[in-house]
Amino acid sequence: MTPRVSLAGVTFTYPGADRVALRGVSLEIAAGEIVVVAGAAGAGASTLLLVATGLAPRLVGGTLAGSRTIEARRCGIVFARPWTQLTGLCSTVADEVSFGPACAGRPRAEVTELAARAMQQLGIAHLALRDPAHLSGGELQRVVVAAALALQPELLALDDPAAELDPAAADALYRMLPPLAAAGLAILLATPDIERAARVATRALVLEEGALVADGPPAVVLPATEVGVLARAAGCPAPYPLDVPALLARIAR
Amino acid sequence: MIGYIAGRSPLHRAHPYTTLALAGAVLFAAFAMTEPATVWLLVLAGAALAATGGVLRSSVRTALVLSLPIWALLFVLYGLLGAAPRVALGPVSFSAPGIARALVLGGRVTAIVLGFLTALATTSPHRLVEAMTARGVPFGRTFLLASTLTVLPRMRERAARILEAQQCRGLRLGGSVLARVRALGPLALPLILGALAEVDEQVLALDVRGAAAGGPRTALDPPPDSRPQRALRWGLLLLVAAAYAWKFRRMRG
Amino acid sequence: MSGWDLRVEAVRYSYGDVEALRDVSLTIRSGEPVALIGKNGAGKTTLTRLLVALIRPAAGRVAVGDWNVASKRPDEMARRVGYVFQHADQQLFARSVREDVAFGPHRLGRRAAVSAVLEELALAPWADVHPYDVPAPLRKLVALAGVLAMDPGVLILDEPTAGLDRSQRDLVVAALRRRSAQGVTVLVVSHDLGFVAEIADRVVVMEGGRIAADRAARELLYDADALATLGLRPPATAEIGIALRLPGAPLRSEEVAATLRGVRWKQSAE
Repeated sequence: MTPRVSLAGVTFTYPGADRVALRGVSLEIAAGEIVVVAGAAGAGASTLLLVATGLAPRLVGGTLAGSRTIEARRCGIVFARPWTQLTGLCSTVADEVSFGPACAGRPRAEVTELAARAMQQLGIAHLALRDPAHLSGGELQRVVVAAALALQPELLALDDPAAELDPAAADALYRMLPPLAAAGLAILLATPDIERAARVATRALVLEEGALVADGPPAVVLPATEVGVLARAAGCPAPYPLDVPALLARIAR
Repeated sequence: MIGYIAGRSPLHRAHPYTTLALAGAVLFAAFAMTEPATVWLLVLAGAALAATGGVLRSSVRTALVLSLPIWALLFVLYGLLGAAPRVALGPVSFSAPGIARALVLGGRVTAIVLGFLTALATTSPHRLVEAMTARGVPFGRTFLLASTLTVLPRMRERAARILEAQQCRGLRLGGSVLARVRALGPLALPLILGALAEVDEQVLALDVRGAAAGGPRTALDPPPDSRPQRALRWGLLLLVAAAYAWKFRRMRG
Repeated sequence: MSGWDLRVEAVRYSYGDVEALRDVSLTIRSGEPVALIGKNGAGKTTLTRLLVALIRPAAGRVAVGDWNVASKRPDEMARRVGYVFQHADQQLFARSVREDVAFGPHRLGRRAAVSAVLEELALAPWADVHPYDVPAPLRKLVALAGVLAMDPGVLILDEPTAGLDRSQRDLVVAALRRRSAQGVTVLVVSHDLGFVAEIADRVVVMEGGRIAADRAARELLYDADALATLGLRPPATAEIGIALRLPGAPLRSEEVAATLRGVRWKQSAE
């Protein structure tokens, strides 16, 4: 099955920047994968998302070298701050989620169906008639994801989607990802929240100053979580556990 | 108060084009009128329109605040410094034609402001976009128009937050003119830079949802139009055209 | 700079007809590190805003040290309290990180230890860069640096670790611990309990505009039931402590690591 996006030796520089944002990155992302991109701030994770979805250089400007093939029919992207991703024109959640299909000129019946399906997938059907301006951060972010999914993209990029959410809402959002991947969506996720990402990711990439330095199973490739660092300090051998249950499982009783 | 105020008045419920036509008629007719009496009749018409929209008090208040400085200026320019014949009122003498001119120009400004405020207050950006989409207006233009209307409340909120943050860093408000000018940087710069960054993100998020797609957009809930409303709009257009025709005849004759 | 104590007495505050704070009283001694937790809308941020005179209580009294806050303006309160807003990165405006961090101290007429603070938060490489060219999580650290450089006797931080990765969070933890040790009063609003576990001795829970609980951190963060009612789970260190019944209810990572050092570890199954 063809990968949703393939990059071969991709190098990208933002307009007017002297620093290269991505250097020689090669990778493929297939349907059903949940790929987490980790790296220090400024290492290029957000840039990778923009390049993989085709938003860079098209809307962002800059120069792209190397080869990029986006097989995905359509891409979606979700950023950290829910309120900057709303149209600001819709007084109901249903309208907001319907925005994409409506822009695509789909017939009204189809628009309604696509919106309903997306809201169902994100568990927000009960919010359909609510005003987005009165929702909590967690609810709003789910509206944003539903809106991104309404046009049934084949690749969904999420840039630190839970940054503004409280722990329960963050957990709920991450839990939504595996079922979406199981339905065939390719998911690319950039986040500093290694612990939550590790619970759902099927694969991990690590970027360092724009270069891809690791690509493999999350437990092996991801930088240590808080628990991992603790375990290492307590004498646990590598690979370090990602969360508390994993740590407890490594203790010989 | 500048901006959309939700409501159920006849103006709110009318087709957005009708509301805009009514406000526009007041606006354009005001320019066609040359006598103080007729201009101020239009100001009254504008007030009546505001009353119909349920926004009389706020519109009049804002209109006064905005027009008073201009009235003062006109009064001084034409009333006090105008040509003969002059009329004495106590120790001061006024120019009679000057006062008349000031009334006409001042009245026009007030009529324009009232019409504009009423239109803004009773036209929901969402309904306007839907109306324009139903008429086949390309989305790029409608979105631009509507999003400029929604940016004001967000900017106001952001400005308040920045103000607080800088105060908590020791910025004192008020004081000498120099102090106020120096305070502009820490207050205005983050507002503008932050707003631009937010717009950047919004453009990316909405682009993938198809906002920039060229094709025709589906109107999901177009505001109902009616024959009487259409007749009214044509009637207003004819009325305004007649007013201008009459004005030009008078000017030539 | 040694700290000030914070005293809130029988305070009431409403936004329109919504009562945000009902008869709240709280005392935080100088140098105490305290965390304020609770669901959104519980009144946590409202309470902190009272302490810096951004809002005035409808009833009751607020004092920072010997200052009655009612008679002060926010820019005056800045001399004693450093307030780090939840989206503090919105306040950045200067031409370089260094200049922005120096803004607060210059307003107060204090000598700015800008370089030291930049080093402390690993921002030295970005010192001459425009704040908006700095990656978003680091902008949060720049905003924090700007407040730390003001050398306040009280630090109030609203969700300081949102969007930060582990190493950035460690920098914030180290900076706050250092200040607590110097006697600065630290009040943190956060639902990042892992972070709270590292810096707070005391946790105050707010609910519906009132103080619902006020307990030692070692007690509350080990109380899974109490935390569950807030939609929260115990932090990782407490979870480990609970599961392994570690003595002394250790909260800090280094305490737990030290306790586990004698343990036998299995090689990973992978």
